[in-house]
Amino acid sequence: MGQYFFVIRQLTSREIKRKYARSYLGIVWSVLNPLLSMAVLSLIFSGIFKRAIENYPVYYLTGYILWQLFTSSTVTSVTALSDNKPLLLKVKFPMEIFVFTRCYTSLINFFYSFAAYAVILAVFKITPKITVLFSVFIVFFLFLFSLGISLVLSVLYVFFGDIKHLYTVFLTLWMYCSAIFYPAQQTEGIMRQVVYFNPVFIFINSMRRSVMWGILPSFGDTVKMILWGGGVFFSGTAFFLACKNKIMEKI
Amino acid sequence: MEEKDIVLKAENVTMEFKRAQTEPGSLKELILNGRKQKKRPETFKALDNVSFSLCRGEVLGIIGTNGSGKSTLLKIIAGKLVPTKGKVIADTSKIQMLTLGTGFDTELTGRENVYLNGAVIGYTKKFIDEKYHEIVSFAELQGFMDEKVKNYSSGMVSRLGFAIATVRDTPEILILDEVLSVGDMFFRKKSEKKIKEMISGGSSVLLVSHSSGAVKSNCTKAMWLEKGVLKLMGDPYDVCGAYESMKGGQA
Repeated sequence: MGQYFFVIRQLTSREIKRKYARSYLGIVWSVLNPLLSMAVLSLIFSGIFKRAIENYPVYYLTGYILWQLFTSSTVTSVTALSDNKPLLLKVKFPMEIFVFTRCYTSLINFFYSFAAYAVILAVFKITPKITVLFSVFIVFFLFLFSLGISLVLSVLYVFFGDIKHLYTVFLTLWMYCSAIFYPAQQTEGIMRQVVYFNPVFIFINSMRRSVMWGILPSFGDTVKMILWGGGVFFSGTAFFLACKNKIMEKI
Repeated sequence: MEEKDIVLKAENVTMEFKRAQTEPGSLKELILNGRKQKKRPETFKALDNVSFSLCRGEVLGIIGTNGSGKSTLLKIIAGKLVPTKGKVIADTSKIQMLTLGTGFDTELTGRENVYLNGAVIGYTKKFIDEKYHEIVSFAELQGFMDEKVKNYSSGMVSRLGFAIATVRDTPEILILDEVLSVGDMFFRKKSEKKIKEMISGGSSVLLVSHSSGAVKSNCTKAMWLEKGVLKLMGDPYDVCGAYESMKGGQA
């Protein structure tokens, strides 16, 4: 068990070192990046959505950091297996560990972003109620959800190189359906249905409720988060295990 | 040799791959091929009923051209690929594999790579801390450990890889995949000496190569794989002689 922690720590610190290998500020970017993005989007949209959204920068940042957790987990995991080809044969652990560490690295990044988020909450004089504790639950299930999708993507990429490009395009579409920078309640018709069905939006919306507005997510949304997180994680793992032999054949 | 001295035993190992005549390398090809008339996938035998055993203190050379099934056999021995038929009996936790692609991260320093690589192949932090100086001095890399591996020469990289893989002092099964054919003369002498030490300490070695020189000078027994079939097994000089005359006949 201790050995698992050791190898995960080693692999994670390698990912972080690599990510900031040639940058001067290093890990500080994990804090700055969401703030800068928030500044840009607020500059453009806070006037437009003035009436629909109170505290637009906070509204945006809440969605953005969760979205980043999801996308950076899944995008970096696409190549997790093929990047570690020489190690796959030697590794004394299940090879899921390479996908897991990419997701875990994103989670660590998320914690840095969360520090920035806490500062912004203070700047906007939002004092979180006790419901803020619910965010632990939300992040946990979003992490499971991301991990499940990551496992599937990493396998697919071994067989189909274009998954990487296809997924990036798909993410753009997904992002616009997640109500990160616009008010969800203003959507109409089919778009509204898509947004409210979208699991990522459910996570984001629940986070806004419990941190910004001090109300718990609805019972339905809570169940959905458990089902999406748990369901995707278990089916992703099952898919990965079923393909293990095929992966080693190909690599 | 007595039965109890057998550390690794392969029994009737057969590995079949289903290969479409034109393997799709991308989604586009998969879809386009699907619309063309379906070709029947061919069953291709990468290994056909291969049996052998490795005893304590033996150095078994596996020789064969590219595509003879050597790497498939290694994947099965490492426990990463489940054969279609037959089985390999070995304690996978004792297997230490050393391949040319060492899996080093070139953006990290030598020191960081020792810990990363060591963790992945199952060493504990305490063990690496203790053995760190031994690894560095064997690889003759004093003064280079805080430099990034991308600035290393290929000889330095393989020396470090060899040093990490062979630092364990408990009896084990060492698998060397095309390793002894590289590196400078002095290091080759040194690594051959180290292997001899390990063998007298109770280890066993599988040496995989496509050139017969390394097999002749190191092995106590040799086997020749050709298109997945075990062609010949026995004295290294006899086996290599037959292998060379086949290669000579083809050229």
